[in-house]
Amino acid sequence: MSTFIQTLIVGIRLGSVYALVALGYTMVYGIIRLINFAHGDFIMVGGYTMIFTVPVALALGLPAWAAVAAAAVVCALVGMGTELIAYRPVRKKGSNMTALITAIAMSLFLENLAQAIPAIGPNPKVASQIFAPGGIEIGTVTLEYTTIFTIIISAVVMLLLYWFTQRTRMGRAMRCVAEDKAAATLMGINVNNTILLTFAIGSGLAAVAALMYMAQYPRIYTTMGSLLGLKAFVSAVLGGIGIIPGAVLGGVVIGLVESFTTSYISSSMADTFVFLILIIVLVLKPAGIMGKNVGEKV
Amino acid sequence: MKKYLSILLALCMVLSLAACGGSSDTQESAAEDGAEESSDPIIIGTISPNTGGLAAYGIGVTTGVELAVEEINAAGGILGREVQVITTDDQGDPTECLNAFNSLVAQGVGLIIGSATSGCTSAITDAANEEEICLLSPTATADSLTTEDDYIFRACYADSFQGAIAAAYAKKSGCEKVGVVYCAADVYSKGLYDSFSAACEKYGVEVAAAESTASMDVQDFTNQFAAMVSAGVDLVYAPFYYDVIGPYVVPQARAAGYEGIIMGADGYDGVPDYVVEGADLSAFNDIYWTNHYYPGDTSEKVQSFVTAYEEKFGSTPSAFSATGYDCVYMYKAAIEAAGSAEPSAVRDALADTSAVYDCVTGSFSLDSTGTPIKGAAIISFADGGDKVVTELVEVMQASDLE
Amino acid sequence: MKKLGRTGQGYLLNTIIIVLLFTAAQLVTAAFGGEGSFKLVLVPSIWQCCYLMILAASLNLVLGFLGQLSLGHCGFMAVGAYTAALLSLACERAELFKDKEGVVFILVLFACVLAAGILSALIGLLVGIPALRLKGDYLAIITLGFGMIIINIINNLPFCGQDGLALGSAAASLYKNGLGFGTKSKVEFLWAALLVTIISITLMFMFVRSKYGRAIRAIRDDEIAAAASGINTSYYKVLTFAYSAFFAGVAGALYSCTNATLSTSSFAFTNGGILNSTFIVVMVVLGGMGSITGSVAAAVIMFFINYQIKNGSWVDALPAAVQAVFQYPMLVYAIVLIVVIMFRPRGIFGSYEFSLINLKRDLKAALERRAAARSERKEARSNG
Repeated sequence: MSTFIQTLIVGIRLGSVYALVALGYTMVYGIIRLINFAHGDFIMVGGYTMIFTVPVALALGLPAWAAVAAAAVVCALVGMGTELIAYRPVRKKGSNMTALITAIAMSLFLENLAQAIPAIGPNPKVASQIFAPGGIEIGTVTLEYTTIFTIIISAVVMLLLYWFTQRTRMGRAMRCVAEDKAAATLMGINVNNTILLTFAIGSGLAAVAALMYMAQYPRIYTTMGSLLGLKAFVSAVLGGIGIIPGAVLGGVVIGLVESFTTSYISSSMADTFVFLILIIVLVLKPAGIMGKNVGEKV
Repeated sequence: MKKYLSILLALCMVLSLAACGGSSDTQESAAEDGAEESSDPIIIGTISPNTGGLAAYGIGVTTGVELAVEEINAAGGILGREVQVITTDDQGDPTECLNAFNSLVAQGVGLIIGSATSGCTSAITDAANEEEICLLSPTATADSLTTEDDYIFRACYADSFQGAIAAAYAKKSGCEKVGVVYCAADVYSKGLYDSFSAACEKYGVEVAAAESTASMDVQDFTNQFAAMVSAGVDLVYAPFYYDVIGPYVVPQARAAGYEGIIMGADGYDGVPDYVVEGADLSAFNDIYWTNHYYPGDTSEKVQSFVTAYEEKFGSTPSAFSATGYDCVYMYKAAIEAAGSAEPSAVRDALADTSAVYDCVTGSFSLDSTGTPIKGAAIISFADGGDKVVTELVEVMQASDLE
Repeated sequence: MKKLGRTGQGYLLNTIIIVLLFTAAQLVTAAFGGEGSFKLVLVPSIWQCCYLMILAASLNLVLGFLGQLSLGHCGFMAVGAYTAALLSLACERAELFKDKEGVVFILVLFACVLAAGILSALIGLLVGIPALRLKGDYLAIITLGFGMIIINIINNLPFCGQDGLALGSAAASLYKNGLGFGTKSKVEFLWAALLVTIISITLMFMFVRSKYGRAIRAIRDDEIAAAASGINTSYYKVLTFAYSAFFAGVAGALYSCTNATLSTSSFAFTNGGILNSTFIVVMVVLGGMGSITGSVAAAVIMFFINYQIKNGSWVDALPAAVQAVFQYPMLVYAIVLIVVIMFRPRGIFGSYEFSLINLKRDLKAALERRAAARSERKEARSNG
């Protein structure tokens, strides 16, 4: 029984991180239909920023998590820069596929740029303890407060994003752009600014995800975004990409599958089962768990 | 139909490659002919993963080599000849490693240090033997790499020795049931697991549980250690690298309720720098690991190396730097013994099992396959109040393996 | 004698030139006899170009002609590489051949290449089935998943251990490899690599230009319209996936000849080098989706740049600042990639196919297009 609870908790812990990262993915995808491969690397940018800002925050007498503010600003700037320098010119001229390749190129660029910066370098770095250790005892197993925080933050971010896209003017503009760019322009929406704002929010979220990731898995390295981004992307697709609650659901499912496979089936085959579940779900329900199948316009 | 000519283009490209590729090797004969000239520099090539996911290892090796070469040149070189280094990057990929090797050989380099990982090194051992080029690997530990009568040597001990030492230590400290957490997809981790479990069988120690991870980069080891707890083992062998040991493996193992001994290998070198600031350090009690040398060793050799390295690069040297540094000095000793920098002469000098190399990672001679015979330092971690402290437990020799 | 048609002339011309080039290659091989830079630099480079060309061209079938993004193409290559390596190792252990010599070895070599292709094609069939229900980004993630699963399974196979076919031992690397050619045998068997490459690319080319090729291009342009005009879309999709996977497997077999050892990290989604699923997609897009010529050219160019940046001696002559950037080759590629996509979003070759017999016509057309574009711009300027 305790193995079961332990496995469950590990699954939720992994899942909460995936969910938070997946929210950023799904946000950008929902608006411009682009798999932003560089999103995982925004997490890396946020992580490294916090490696430098956490000591500053502590020196100023602030709690360690306050450093996330600076990281959010840096990430948002990097995200908007990426959109302005790379994505926007390509979107104007190329197809979906070229935009995707640009995203891959940006991901490569950010990862390798980080390695080339002397203050970062290729050696992994270890973060400070961000939240006080401790947790709730369930039998012999401890559910850490950090995990609970992450879940709460994911839920809050999810609700905020949902509210933002459904209820505010900007959010409505975003949904219009997602639906039909040309029509949105005719309705007086500045499409470019809306997309820029989407990137700012999505990348800012990456900083929050980076904070929670660091709090639970305190190791930052330049290629961390690649596998984490991949798993988060899988989560977003599993839940139904572009659907905000779907990202959280997908993240938790992927985390649980990974954890239970490790404990009960084969510890070295976790990846196989994660992707197998994904394939099965998508074949049965091609738009993801929460996605709606939309008939194609002829 | 008439346009299936991309083939042609293919051939044209290949041929144009011929034209361009050929240009890069015109100076080869110069270096080769000049090898016997007393004034010409001795060229040592390095192959290591300087970029990509394993860049940390590559940088470790190249900085160690750089330091050693600088020292040697400042002291007048080898046999009065200056030492030059050509650094190449294999990106952690076997194919690129072979490319780098071939280009070094084409440039007339006969002495090569590399590569850092067993996977990459295995890609060039056959080529090195075929071309009769000396290959001295700083950190490739897989057993099958070095054989008798070949050009392959190394500055570290092989997996089978390190795993067996860990098993011998487990036996000695009275453990009866042990477990292993390793990574099946990684040559280093898997190799150590194999040799550890084989040695355990020999010593009558039961391996009660073995759990693997999907890759060396996973974040969560909790489930694996929970399985160790339920198997009731009193020692877990966990061959991973420092950057996951400090932040992930140890805290998560303790959080999963595992209280016994954690045993590791040379990958644990550097763990104290990778401990989360503000974390509970008592988790690091009862951790033992085997290493090539003891960094806290007060001997002059180690201390001067550590000081010089810190002065030049501003960080504590890793085991990669130490073995990279040693490789250069091993070549120096071999060249001086041979009186020449010709690869075949240096090879014969290195193959001499009576030569003793006095290095940072210990004073040792090579066995008949080209692997150092040296003792393994068993080092422990302990909670030192504000940081994790290391302590030398004992030095075990190959004779302790009986 | 009957007068040859234009097509017939084209065939004749191509055949003559191929034969000439082939003989020239053989003569060069014989002349150098495997010494110095030819043996060390050129021949291994050609081997690597061969499998990269086949791999990129095979991905182009799915990506460029069928219009489906596949992010796990190296998974098929891994299947091919391990199949060929293990099969040859088994033959070596059964003492069918010795020291890579004799007719039997050549037979085994081609049997391995074929087996690699066939097994990959079977796996490709499996991947093709979800492709019937999914498309676009969802399909991309499925193929990515398949790639990861293949690698994960190979990592855990009990007979892919350090000595290959080892008993109960698994590791990422397959150390010994029955096919793994040393430098000398690479020169000796260069003809085999070139032959396999030529046959593979010809077969892919013929596929694209056949009725199958027209059908899959119709599916790419408009699936519903294609289905409405009587094209069995399911059949063609699965067929293309399998056909493409076959050649990825062949490329894998060549890979295992080129390398004495195999390691699954070489076939991952991303890694530090240029051989991974992501970079193959990059090659295809750079070369031009829908142009086999483009894929072949892009594969060779990427390889050449990567090789020269890291091993070329001319790099030493560059200013220190440029050299510092070249320390991070991936950074250079990322920037080059973004720039190329900004200025030529359809890839270097677009959907153009190289052809000797049409070269004059194509050049003329290109010049005319350029002139037209220029005059259009001028006109626009004078109007504006």
